[in-house]
Amino acid sequence: MKISIQINASPYQYQAADSAWHFIQAAIASGHQIYRVFFYHDGVYNAVHDSRPPGDERDIVKRWSSLHEEQGVDLVVCVSSAQRRGLLETSVARKVGGYENALANGFRIAGLGLLMEAVIDADRHICFGA
Amino acid sequence: MKTLVFIIDKPLHGNIQTQEFIDMALMAAAFDQRVILLFEDDGVYALLGKQSPDAIGLKNSSPLLKALSIYEINDVWVEQESIIERGLNSEQFVIDVKRCPRVELKREMEAADELFSF
Repeated sequence: MKISIQINASPYQYQAADSAWHFIQAAIASGHQIYRVFFYHDGVYNAVHDSRPPGDERDIVKRWSSLHEEQGVDLVVCVSSAQRRGLLETSVARKVGGYENALANGFRIAGLGLLMEAVIDADRHICFGA
Repeated sequence: MKTLVFIIDKPLHGNIQTQEFIDMALMAAAFDQRVILLFEDDGVYALLGKQSPDAIGLKNSSPLLKALSIYEINDVWVEQESIIERGLNSEQFVIDVKRCPRVELKREMEAADELFSF
């Protein structure tokens, strides 16, 4: 089954990012395909490059980056949600004089069109987080 | 074409989520999907006219609701019980809505392809 995932909540403060990650692990292990993970609302904070949790804690951002590197899962951050919250794509940051390294490895920034494409093409679309 | 129901259960102003959520519904309509916008619980307050969000430094998002028809989102429903419980009536709303009792909404939601909430 082709599964599309949407994450609406920030990491650490809510369980959404953890639940989604565990769900994705289980789905892949069961032979399903993760079509895309789309980060919306405060969910964009899952893509913060400079997140540095204490060493004995799970690293949520790094976990997403590994998911992309190892499984090739498409990680898309909503551009308008991200810009509003200070996460700029490198090229945009250069243009407006913002921080150029805001986004962690494996994430890309795009519009809501990619969310809709996933909703339409996938067999199931599952949202995590209020 | 899929049928997507977007459930709004929070007011329009105060945080950015409602506005971002409506953006998602507009995008779905732009992709030629059947979009149903459902207001329930405190979400019915989003429909009220005469809001002054500028008083707390926020942009007025009511025009966003008026844009729904431009995007050909014509299924705008309100849960009847939510209106009654809050002592409101549809004449106070900025757009025309269809009042539906809870039981009817349940049937429609079961028939939809995807439900979105926030």
